[in-house]
Amino acid sequence: MDSHDFHKLLLSRGTFFCYSGLLSEEVLSAISGIVREQVSDIDHDIDLTTRVFGIFIEQAQNIIRYSEERLAEGGIGTVAIGHSKEGFVVEAINPMNADKMLSLKGNLEELQKMESKELRKAYKQRLREGPPEGSKGAGLGFIEIARKSSKFEFDFVESPELLFVLKAWIVP
Amino acid sequence: MHLEATNRTPEVSISESVLEMKGECYPEDITAFAEPILELLAEKLAACDSFSVSLELRYFNSSSAKFFFDFFEVLEESAADGKSISIEWRYRAKDNSMKEAGEDFEEDMEEADYQLVEI
Repeated sequence: MDSHDFHKLLLSRGTFFCYSGLLSEEVLSAISGIVREQVSDIDHDIDLTTRVFGIFIEQAQNIIRYSEERLAEGGIGTVAIGHSKEGFVVEAINPMNADKMLSLKGNLEELQKMESKELRKAYKQRLREGPPEGSKGAGLGFIEIARKSSKFEFDFVESPELLFVLKAWIVP
Repeated sequence: MHLEATNRTPEVSISESVLEMKGECYPEDITAFAEPILELLAEKLAACDSFSVSLELRYFNSSSAKFFFDFFEVLEESAADGKSISIEWRYRAKDNSMKEAGEDFEEDMEEADYQLVEI
């Protein structure tokens, strides 16, 4: 793909922010303020933009903590935010360990089935019980994404290393 | 204690009987941020009869949620011990995320006086 095609591809799909490469807490500190501003400039609804920003942070921190391809400071991945007349979409792609695929798939499918009340209950229960084994945070990230998004989809793609793709829509 | 706000941490001030926090909370290292606050809070609570807390957050991430859960637990325990604890959870009008977060925490508060305040 030529550079100009890449440029046009991003614009045509409404992607106004995209970061690809090593994502660390330091990189996140450098970009998070401007992402917050960009999102708030596009839409002035504080509830909507806080949800978009919150999902972006959770997706970015998933890459930092769990990407299978990593350096000392963080993980390799891509995180992007797009906007169309329907609303916002936050996407993240990162290599993952194939051994964890089935449990992650089960976990996410369960969250997809839950209504907002059930998600709220699951969130509180996780807070009380503390993070599950293997978690590097509070173990709440996916529940938070499910709660704050209008819907989310995920995929596992072999290309040839296994890529985890997570896409969340946030609409008014 | 007074901590200035950064783009990832709120402004925090803790005096003998008041704790105030305002801003965004998604620190690079939640433990490094949370520990000194929880330690000092426990110290101040032990030394006072009444303590008031005012929180005005615009956003916090899921890693910080655990910190706030622990934070409220300390306050609730202190209230259960007979201290007068009052908490204000301030949120911007129309900010449903922060309103809902405040309601989530409210559910666990029985002894402490907990108020949701729209600003």
